[in-house]
Amino acid sequence: MSNHDGATTSLILFELAATTYAVPSRLVQQMEMVERITPVPNAPAFVDGVVFARGQVVPALNLRLRFGFERVPYNLKTRLVVLAEHGRTVGLIVDSAREFLTIPTAAIQPPPETVTGLSGKYLAGIAYVDERLLLILDVSEILNFTELATA
Amino acid sequence: MVRQSGNNATPASAEVLQLQNETAPLAVAIGDLAQINDQIHDGVAAQERSLDELGASVKTAAASFKETALQTASVAGSVEQLSSSINEMAASTEQVNGNAKNLNDALGEIGTSLEEMSSSTKSVSDKAQSMSVAATQVTSSTGAMAKSLRGISDDTDGLVSAVNESGAAVEEMARSIQGVAKNCDDLVAAAESTASSINEMAASIEEVGATSENLSAEVDRVGAATEELARSIVGVAQNSERITDAADGAATSATQLDRSIHSVAQLAKQADDTTRRVVQEAEEGGAAVQKSIHGLTRVRDAMGQSAESVREMGKKAGEIGGIINTINLIAERTNLLSLNASIEAARAGDAGRGFAVVAEEIRNLANRAAQATSDIASIIKGLQDVVQDAVTASNEGVRVAQESSQLAEDGMSGLKKILGGVKETTVITAQIVRATEEQTTAGKHVVSAINTTAVQAKQVATATAEQSKTAQSVAQSAVQMRRIAQQVSQAMNDQGGAAREIIKAGQNTRALAEQVRKATAEQATGANQITQALVLMRKGASTTAKGVAEQVQGGEEVAKAIEDLSRLLAETASAIHEQSIGIVQIGRSVEGIRKQSGQVNQAMAEQSRATKEMASASENVSKQIRLIARSNEGNATLAEGIHQGLAEVRAVVERNLQGGRDSRRVADILRQRSDAIASLAARLLEPASPPPVKRRVVSKKKPSR
Repeated sequence: MSNHDGATTSLILFELAATTYAVPSRLVQQMEMVERITPVPNAPAFVDGVVFARGQVVPALNLRLRFGFERVPYNLKTRLVVLAEHGRTVGLIVDSAREFLTIPTAAIQPPPETVTGLSGKYLAGIAYVDERLLLILDVSEILNFTELATA
Repeated sequence: MVRQSGNNATPASAEVLQLQNETAPLAVAIGDLAQINDQIHDGVAAQERSLDELGASVKTAAASFKETALQTASVAGSVEQLSSSINEMAASTEQVNGNAKNLNDALGEIGTSLEEMSSSTKSVSDKAQSMSVAATQVTSSTGAMAKSLRGISDDTDGLVSAVNESGAAVEEMARSIQGVAKNCDDLVAAAESTASSINEMAASIEEVGATSENLSAEVDRVGAATEELARSIVGVAQNSERITDAADGAATSATQLDRSIHSVAQLAKQADDTTRRVVQEAEEGGAAVQKSIHGLTRVRDAMGQSAESVREMGKKAGEIGGIINTINLIAERTNLLSLNASIEAARAGDAGRGFAVVAEEIRNLANRAAQATSDIASIIKGLQDVVQDAVTASNEGVRVAQESSQLAEDGMSGLKKILGGVKETTVITAQIVRATEEQTTAGKHVVSAINTTAVQAKQVATATAEQSKTAQSVAQSAVQMRRIAQQVSQAMNDQGGAAREIIKAGQNTRALAEQVRKATAEQATGANQITQALVLMRKGASTTAKGVAEQVQGGEEVAKAIEDLSRLLAETASAIHEQSIGIVQIGRSVEGIRKQSGQVNQAMAEQSRATKEMASASENVSKQIRLIARSNEGNATLAEGIHQGLAEVRAVVERNLQGGRDSRRVADILRQRSDAIASLAARLLEPASPPPVKRRVVSKKKPSR
């Protein structure tokens, strides 16, 4: 679709606390089911541990806790979305992630000031597709924050 | 002598008549006494007959007994009077005795004069013999002498006849004196028997008095008892009326009771039927409960089985869930793989475009599979919930079935208990039915008994009414008894009257004794007259002498007829000799008279002695009567102690009857005595010539009564 209208953006959609978020698929290295998280000593509370994925150790970040929601136990739908940008890798533990969606880039709007003020600098934009509101995360910020937290 | 004796005889026979007249009322009095005795006997018999009525009259009899005691006292007084009159009579008898002695002396004088007369007759005879000698010399004056001799002859004839008459009279006198002596003996015997009869009568009067006092006391007691009886009868009558009322009330309540018993019996029968039905139904219910227990057991078992099956099914569903999870995992992995493929395809750019489509289709299939497994999972989840519910429900059902079974068993045992209770109830109800049936019969009996009681109570009331009537008639008969007792007292009064009459008769006897004395005085006069007659006889003798002188004067005239005269004189001499013999006989007879008179004297002395004995006997009688009076008074005081019952009364009355019979017997004896006396008087009247002796006899008779 994005072929017909010039610039398109492919997004991985995931659910967190009954809200649909999205990250650009070119920043997603891979997706995993949550298995064998090894706890890390002196890690922040929102870091559940580290996983070993495709030959490298990836920190697993519980996005619920990072965004201030309550912790839920892992289940069959729980996913680890491994993001990679500029050689930095981080895994986000989300409630579920099952969709791959390609939307026109034009459909992505910057987040409103009021919302930015509230949720910090983690939102890159907001898209409204097929009567669904998608909150597009700013992966760089998340990576920075993760680095800061883990450093 | 003939004339003189005739003069004496007339007043004496008159007195005998008088005596007879006195004896007649005496006999009447005795008859009255006998009648009174009979009346007493009848009264006693009536007493015996009205023994049941005796009650009140005993009281009055007691009163009359006191009167009787008084009367007995008065009888004692009159007996004392009688005793005194007997003493008087004894004195008069003594006087009579003296008079009889005088008479004896007079008779002695008569004897002397008769002897003198005999000697003079002898001298006359001598003179006649000498005259005969002279007469043989005097033959010439026979004619003149014949006349005077005729006179002499006449005189002599008269003398002879007079002497004959006097001889006959003397013989009669002797006979009559013998008869008098015999009568005196009879009189003595009669007096003794009369005395003994009087004693018997006194004894029987004593007995009658004692028994009458007993009777009085018994009558008192019976009177009191009768009053108590009357009171108690009145009480019984009142009680019986109350009983009648109570019995009527009881009869009414008994009828009500009977009705209520009937209704109770009906109710009990209904209860019995109901209980029997209840038993039947309870047994049926027990059977049904048993069946339901069996059914519940089966239900429980089936529940258990079905719960097991459901659990098995739940297990299977769980297994299915496991498989579903596996499928879901596969679907998720497929989705993940397709996403990763899409990411790689997107990286590959246009080269990876077809791959991206395939990945997307794979992702769609995986999504559909996930959707389907999700649906299946939700279905299985629902199924598992349902299974869980079914298991819970079946567990609950088993529990409920167990509880129901338990409850049914409890119900069964309760039902069994109920059944036992109902059976007991049935038994008890049957017993109640039987009891009420018995009660019904008993109630009927009670009703009939109470009705009978009411009837009987009414009969009792009627009977007590009749009893009270009878008690009234008993009271009336008590009044009659009182009347009879009054009659008895009247009879006692009559007896007293008879006793008074006896006293009067005794007085009359005394008067008669006086008359006898008078008569003996007249006898003395008669003796004087006999003396005078002897003087006259002497005068006659002188007249004879004068005649003899005339004979002497006419001797010469008789000379011629001397031969005849001599023969005549011889005859005359022989006649005179015979006369002299007759005079001697007279003298002998006069001597016999004197002897008899002496015997009479002795008899009189015996009589006097007997009279004294009688006086002492009458004093004894008086003493006894006083004793009787005292014992009467004692009995009167004892009267209250005699409350010993009607049986004794009957015995006493029977004794009374016996006493009455004795009294009657004594009265009969007395009547016989009086008849004997009357016949004696009549016999005395028949000879008529020797009344003086009879008077004595009569005078003796009365004191003997």
